[in-house]
Amino acid sequence: MSAATSFSVNGGTVRVTAPPLKRLADVLREDLGLTGTKIGCNAGDCGACTVLLDGRQVCACMVPLGQAAGRAVTTVEGLAEGGRLSALQAAFQRHGAAQCGICTPGMLLAASDLLARDAAPDEPAVMDALGGVLCRCTGYRKIVEAVLDVAAPQADSEPAAGSAVGARLAKLDGMAMLTGATRFGADAIPADALWLRVVRSPHAAARFAVGDLAPLYDANPGLVRVLSAADLPCNGFGVYPDLKDQPVLADGVVRFRGEAVLALVGEKTALEAIADEAVPVAYEPIAAVVGLDAAMAEGAPLVQADKPGNLLIDGGLRKGDAEAALGSCAARAEGVFETAFVEHAYIEPEAGWARRLGKRLELHVSTQSPYMDRDETANILGLAPEQVRVLPSACGGGFGGKLDLSVQPLIALAAWLLERPVACVYQRPESMASSTKRHPARIRARFGCDAGGILQAVTMNADFDTGAYASWGPTVAVRVPVHATGPYHVPHVSARGRAFFSNAPPAGAFRGFGVPQSAIAHEALMDDLAAQLGLDRLAIRLRNALRPGQATASGQVLQASVGLAPCLEALAPPWSAALADAAAFNKTGGAWRRGVGIGCMWYGIGNTGLPNPSTMALALGRDGALTFYNGAVDIGQGSSTVLSQICADALGLPLGHFQLVVGDTDLTADAGKTSASRQTFVSGKAAQLAGEDLRGQILRLANAGPDAEIALDGTALRVTDGAARHVIELDSLPAAADGTVLRGEGSFDPPTTPLDDNGQGNPYATYGFAAQLAVADVDLALGVTKVRKIVAAHDVGRAINPIQVEGQIHGGIAQGLGLALMEEYIPGQTENLHDYLIPTVGDVPEIEVIVVEDAEPLGPFGAKGVGEPGLIPTAPAILGAIRHATGVRIARVPALPHRLRAAILAQAGPEDDTP
Amino acid sequence: MDAMQYEAPGSVDEAVALLAAADGAAWVLAGGTDLLVQLRADLIEPGLVVDIKGISELRAITPENGGFRIGAAVTGAELGEHEGVKAVWPGVVEAMELIGSVQIQGRATLGGNLCNASPAADSVPALIAAEALCSVVGPKGRREVAVAEVATGPGETSLGPGEIVVDILLPERPARAADAYLRFIPRTEMDIAVVGVAVSLVLDERGVCAQARVALGAVAPRALLVPEAAAALIGGTVDDDALERLAAAARAACRPIDDMRGTVAYRTKVAGVLARRAAGIALARARSE
Repeated sequence: MSAATSFSVNGGTVRVTAPPLKRLADVLREDLGLTGTKIGCNAGDCGACTVLLDGRQVCACMVPLGQAAGRAVTTVEGLAEGGRLSALQAAFQRHGAAQCGICTPGMLLAASDLLARDAAPDEPAVMDALGGVLCRCTGYRKIVEAVLDVAAPQADSEPAAGSAVGARLAKLDGMAMLTGATRFGADAIPADALWLRVVRSPHAAARFAVGDLAPLYDANPGLVRVLSAADLPCNGFGVYPDLKDQPVLADGVVRFRGEAVLALVGEKTALEAIADEAVPVAYEPIAAVVGLDAAMAEGAPLVQADKPGNLLIDGGLRKGDAEAALGSCAARAEGVFETAFVEHAYIEPEAGWARRLGKRLELHVSTQSPYMDRDETANILGLAPEQVRVLPSACGGGFGGKLDLSVQPLIALAAWLLERPVACVYQRPESMASSTKRHPARIRARFGCDAGGILQAVTMNADFDTGAYASWGPTVAVRVPVHATGPYHVPHVSARGRAFFSNAPPAGAFRGFGVPQSAIAHEALMDDLAAQLGLDRLAIRLRNALRPGQATASGQVLQASVGLAPCLEALAPPWSAALADAAAFNKTGGAWRRGVGIGCMWYGIGNTGLPNPSTMALALGRDGALTFYNGAVDIGQGSSTVLSQICADALGLPLGHFQLVVGDTDLTADAGKTSASRQTFVSGKAAQLAGEDLRGQILRLANAGPDAEIALDGTALRVTDGAARHVIELDSLPAAADGTVLRGEGSFDPPTTPLDDNGQGNPYATYGFAAQLAVADVDLALGVTKVRKIVAAHDVGRAINPIQVEGQIHGGIAQGLGLALMEEYIPGQTENLHDYLIPTVGDVPEIEVIVVEDAEPLGPFGAKGVGEPGLIPTAPAILGAIRHATGVRIARVPALPHRLRAAILAQAGPEDDTP
Repeated sequence: MDAMQYEAPGSVDEAVALLAAADGAAWVLAGGTDLLVQLRADLIEPGLVVDIKGISELRAITPENGGFRIGAAVTGAELGEHEGVKAVWPGVVEAMELIGSVQIQGRATLGGNLCNASPAADSVPALIAAEALCSVVGPKGRREVAVAEVATGPGETSLGPGEIVVDILLPERPARAADAYLRFIPRTEMDIAVVGVAVSLVLDERGVCAQARVALGAVAPRALLVPEAAAALIGGTVDDDALERLAAAARAACRPIDDMRGTVAYRTKVAGVLARRAAGIALARARSE
């Protein structure tokens, strides 16, 4: 039933013929082409689709078209005036308030609603107004800062040549995010595309048979094709070359709730009209293996028939004799710590489209790993990798979750077979049910030290629930033993990491690859040792902090950029102040108790003991265009900006000349995956080398010395070397087919060695270090924790762009807070953003970032990574604060109020009744 | 969605006629914050949707005999901006304002929160404690019913075919009267109540509690009025002893579920704690009258 509905959008009247119950969000995107309005959940939970309706913020997914009739709608496309950013947009740009950009339109409109009624709001008013828009990247603080700073003057200064590194630069791709122009996975789907909808298993474990599909086709003329396992030339994928254990479409057996069984391809409305029950799949449920205990039990059913004991991997590390050393320690601490499945909850669900062009396939998709997508898709379709071209869309958040395949093989197969463009956008519940998760862990650890608090021995036994398929399970199980000691010097170490299959979503890569889980264990035990010896918790960490010249658990002697000690020293004054404040607060009595906690971490940058090269290129065209060919996908963390800053300074030209080609597998070299905090360090070094290479060529052409200055003026390169001046006319140089006249290239593969049978070797070329303190209040009667403040000191080697560094730390802290206090994915129960809780703006406290720059000689301008380090120390610091406030050592996260309350009660003895 | 029929009548009578004539599933659409989610999730059968947002009498807040008659399609935001209702029934307003984010506040309606019949609906315990009445109009005419009688269980109401709630009447308040609503959620905002407690009380000139009503949400299949909890307050000065008896009565009334948001023991405990705290707030408000 369609009728014409008139309303105004951004000042102009529109008339739309669509069903009156069609959601305004869909109308804006599909009927009016205004894809700046994003859809994150379609349930009013995430606020990504926030628009103004008669000036008031509403979720456009919650407004039926019929109720928009005659009213005025404002979308992100209507905010800039005359091609100039509004003051609010400019403030967002200045403050780095947009990271991936997917929540940005919603945030801007929510803030616009407030600012229209209150031009100078205070912080609580801003937080209240933004409370309905979820952001998974920024930790909200820079968004709040931007709204509070809206009245400040706009400054458009661009750094001069050679001064980009270290500058607080706005993101190069930020403007497009602020105007709604950025195209995410669902934003540029061709109008003639067919759509693909996945039919998923409602059971955790079942055998199934697909019945006669003829009635389904007959009843749905718009249904073009139903794809099943039989249609796939190679029905297996996985991130390891020799471990392709996950089927694209299940073949007679499903191993987790949400696993893909069939793919329906057809007209969008036809697919939406098909009820799940109408698809003839007969399931025969079988006993599901749920949780580590079930997976590890003697005689447990096998999740994968060829994986005895449900064991995926058993990795270990041994240095010295930990058992003997523990026996002679003056103080020993031990514990078992458990964590849950955690959902990435990027606000952009998986999305993309594919088309076949003769013998080639083009894949437009939201991803963290274009080259891996290319190779995996080619393998599945039986094509050569060069036959597949991946053109990444903007990525609306990844955090590890978009390293694995999702829509890619399905749309690729459908487009290949049907020779029509095919698109797929996951709904929020299917995104949550089918995507990878953080590994639930059970970590048993013992720490021992001498009477002076100097660590002597550590043992750790870390078991991980890896879900139904391998994904990144081996990486987690290998990375954790290396990091078992925490960022401390320990002579005797024994650590083991195992991963077990279960009938749950595959656990994969998630910011930290298992290290956040193990950090909860080692930091709790450090607190235990401090308590036993009567030492200050910061002091014992400083006493044990790894120093240059010391060996790690894997026997790697660190020579430089070992910055934990300076981080702790920087944290010492706020630590003392926070302890004094908490003591004073707690003297006042009342239901709330205040505590202060500390967490430290280290994190190896890049793949563990494996090559992880990156290649960058920089080309000058005969037309004077300077193009940076950068294969590193920016998933919001700012690599496009940071790598350009590095490359610009290496070349010696201002950043303003840079044009970017990002991630296109036909045009850019393989930069590896955007994961493991590696892009600034690895691709950044490659970008530096590429810039230096091009600079060297220019200087040679001009016969100039190394300190010469270069300027680009149209097609003229002017080189000034002291008094000597040279001009290179680019249009007079011989050009390649694409017009390139000069091309610089740089490759970097960080020096590592594989781990031996005892886990000994140099698995990473460099490590990030950090220490964070948390102040938290606990309502003793309700078990509620309110984090009040975080101070985060991070050794990043060199902050190429301090705004982006702070943004990474803020965002990591928000995710660490979620891990500590509220996030727990339960299949079938928390498959949406109102049952699965992530921190809102109101949950994230004031954050103070202290940047420590202990230069890494291998890194570009001394830099190393910061993407994951931001998250890792947060949960330990918050749990330490809870313990300081209540005396309770939390052994299972999230520390949900009912769990914390039960722990407080168990400690206090019989029921008290604190009001 | 193709099978959906959408109507936007201009009067209550037209709406009732449409609903009464519907064969099969028929749904009332107000703010849409529950209905659209349920439609999307295939939780309800498609059929007739009657949009009542365009019916002006359902959008009004009208003073009546010292109290207020609030149209069923009045939103949380509109209620929150009404200084009159806020002054007299602050607990009802704060309960409604806790529902969802600012975006949802602009859409979600008092009548919708009531008729969606969620056991965790925030406004319902506050309305029950306020002894609010609602007007129901149907094919057989208009009737008045206590708010407490509308929901009969999760998603179930006592409304007959073709009946809609058109308004909610908050009664007049004497001097030294106040109400308060507190709920517990694990996150700072935007979540479903794990426990909600509303307390409404009236003090006499000596500060003795003359009347009280206590209602609990999210601890049973529908919101509960707990006379035993009110009895703990009535006749005394709401001292510590009374508050403890209040908490004990609130706990005793709980029949909660056990889920990822909280265990039975925890929800029961929280009901007692929140009852004490809500009573404390209501008391302070009444004393400052």
